[in-house]
Amino acid sequence: MTQTTAIHGEKISLLRVLGPGHVWALGVGIVLVGEYMGWNFSVGKGGAIAALIACWVAGLLYTCVAMIDSEVTSTVAAAGGQYAQAKHIVGPLMAFNVGLFLVFAYTMLEAANAITLGYLIQTVGGMMGQTTAGGEALVLHDKPFIVLTIMFLAWLNYRGVYATLTFNLVITAIAFVAIIILFFAVRPWSSDVLQHNELLTGLPYGWIGVIAALHFGLWYYLGIEGTCQAAEEVRSPARSLPLGTMTGIMTLLIAATMTWFICAGLMPWEYLGQAVTPLFDAARLMDSLPLMVLLFIGTIFSTLASANGCINDASRAWFSMARDRYLPQWFGAVHPRYRTPYRSIVFLVPVAVLFAYYAPLDQVITFSILSGLLGYTFMTFNVIMFRRKWPLGTIQRGYVHPLHPLPALVLLVLCATTYFAVFLGYGTQLMAMMAFFIIASLWFHFHRYRYVRRGDQFTMPWPRPLGDY
Amino acid sequence: MSNGHYEPPRQSALGQFFDSLFLLALVFASLFAPLYLGLASGGKTEIELADKTTWAGLGQNAVMQGAWEKLGYTPETAAPVIVSRFDYSFDLVALGVTALIVVGYFVLVVAFSKSEYREVIAERFGRRDQ
Amino acid sequence: MPDINTLNNFQLLEYGAWALCIILGVWMLTDMLRTDMTYSEDLLTSSREGDIEDALVIDPTHQGGHR
Repeated sequence: MTQTTAIHGEKISLLRVLGPGHVWALGVGIVLVGEYMGWNFSVGKGGAIAALIACWVAGLLYTCVAMIDSEVTSTVAAAGGQYAQAKHIVGPLMAFNVGLFLVFAYTMLEAANAITLGYLIQTVGGMMGQTTAGGEALVLHDKPFIVLTIMFLAWLNYRGVYATLTFNLVITAIAFVAIIILFFAVRPWSSDVLQHNELLTGLPYGWIGVIAALHFGLWYYLGIEGTCQAAEEVRSPARSLPLGTMTGIMTLLIAATMTWFICAGLMPWEYLGQAVTPLFDAARLMDSLPLMVLLFIGTIFSTLASANGCINDASRAWFSMARDRYLPQWFGAVHPRYRTPYRSIVFLVPVAVLFAYYAPLDQVITFSILSGLLGYTFMTFNVIMFRRKWPLGTIQRGYVHPLHPLPALVLLVLCATTYFAVFLGYGTQLMAMMAFFIIASLWFHFHRYRYVRRGDQFTMPWPRPLGDY
Repeated sequence: MSNGHYEPPRQSALGQFFDSLFLLALVFASLFAPLYLGLASGGKTEIELADKTTWAGLGQNAVMQGAWEKLGYTPETAAPVIVSRFDYSFDLVALGVTALIVVGYFVLVVAFSKSEYREVIAERFGRRDQ
Repeated sequence: MPDINTLNNFQLLEYGAWALCIILGVWMLTDMLRTDMTYSEDLLTSSREGDIEDALVIDPTHQGGHR
């Protein structure tokens, strides 16, 4: 497909040239890396069995997220994104915060991907066993490759998304197949390779460890709610949206359980709990060069696909906010030739680079998870306010989720539990994150909002909301 | 107050620059400084083991030992990894304060949003008859 | 800058990666500056919510254009 021009008179706008396959690649591509790295920190927080329980509880949390988000997104379909939902349902300051949640969740995930990729290159460099003339082992440093990953993907995104996302589709599929091949290679039906009996040691922290593990349990699925936002290009959102998201979650649930089963049967939990590239380590333990190469490629591809989608999403969230003047309007510019929000892409590069360069992986992932978690908390009251302001029947809904308000309440309870899980061991980061959002909110309300148009923000063709407005 | 349309002022380039700088500084001050100053590394403790120089002393069985060795560890290099534990003892006051801040944050955001939302709706749909 | 003859393969790789970073960074910055100077600010920031709808209905991103 060639890039078509979309100049309307004296205006330029972003191009939309992508098909549903790209959207799948964007959604699943962002999430799949969660099986290649990061999830295993939940093993560190509660032991291997706690990690498996956390994986399933997080699956329930995301089922609620999918149900709620399918309804709101299929109705605000035309507007896309939780940012627009917040703007129409809760109000401008909430929308500003939700926009920042998205930017942070994705930028920190991008940094985490770059760290993993750099680490993998360093590991492989070390395994090549090169030595100096004096016989000292040579070290291939990870830092240049961390920065290069971010710069290269930022550059690709600057040049336009179509080619990069086609590329994403292919590399995501390869990374997924790599997990399946590894699963069959460890012969899960026998105990020749996997030694769960010898390696599983119960719950080293007891049941509080299970709750604490929920913190990184979210990592298996973080970002899957993004596929919901592809509402616009889905032919029949009413059926496809919930179906697509639920099958996505089920696929990830199966992949996550497989990943856990492989890794927990191959390495001690103390190692697994702090590993940077657990699936690649699993292949190393198999003594098979082809598997090692396969999982090396899988890890590289999954991190690249994820980071690529993250740059795309974070920069566009930043751009959307600037276009509404929630942020300086300078960022709301579109490149006349590449049709990308080029200034937003460039602006977010130093943020990603600094965190990827200096911060440890588990901290960066925690910032990403916390941003996601704040977003899920927002969804609980968002859907309740949505049903109050526009009850069923007052506007056309693409999909109506069953059992309202039960999913919202379950989600709220699970979110509260996850805050507690983060508080256990990472309380400082939780406070730092809250401090950031509180100061940013005050800044927005008392300073920034004066540059924002009022009535123009409401773009949906809906009637006046019910209640005192 | 009239039923007027709010026309926001146009922000100067310098104003836009300072706003961007403010956000960037806020990100680094609140998220990066705690990491950089080492405030975020708390919450870890170590378990006491009599013998940290052998695999058996570290509580590793033969299968575990095999895995560690294949991954390039010796008992000495594996010991810090094996004895490290999270410290999940917490004090209820700290938990209460944290919970209060998270809840307070959402209350604050929703309350401010509501007042801003009223203006949006009033301008979009006209003011309600008093 | 160390003498090129004393560098080992790994160091060459690392310097190569740094060089690529700089090239990509400079490319983006110069292109941004050139674009900013070639086109008027009003044209560059003329994108509005909903404009893309009639061109193509597919949104490449989650948050991309609205409406």
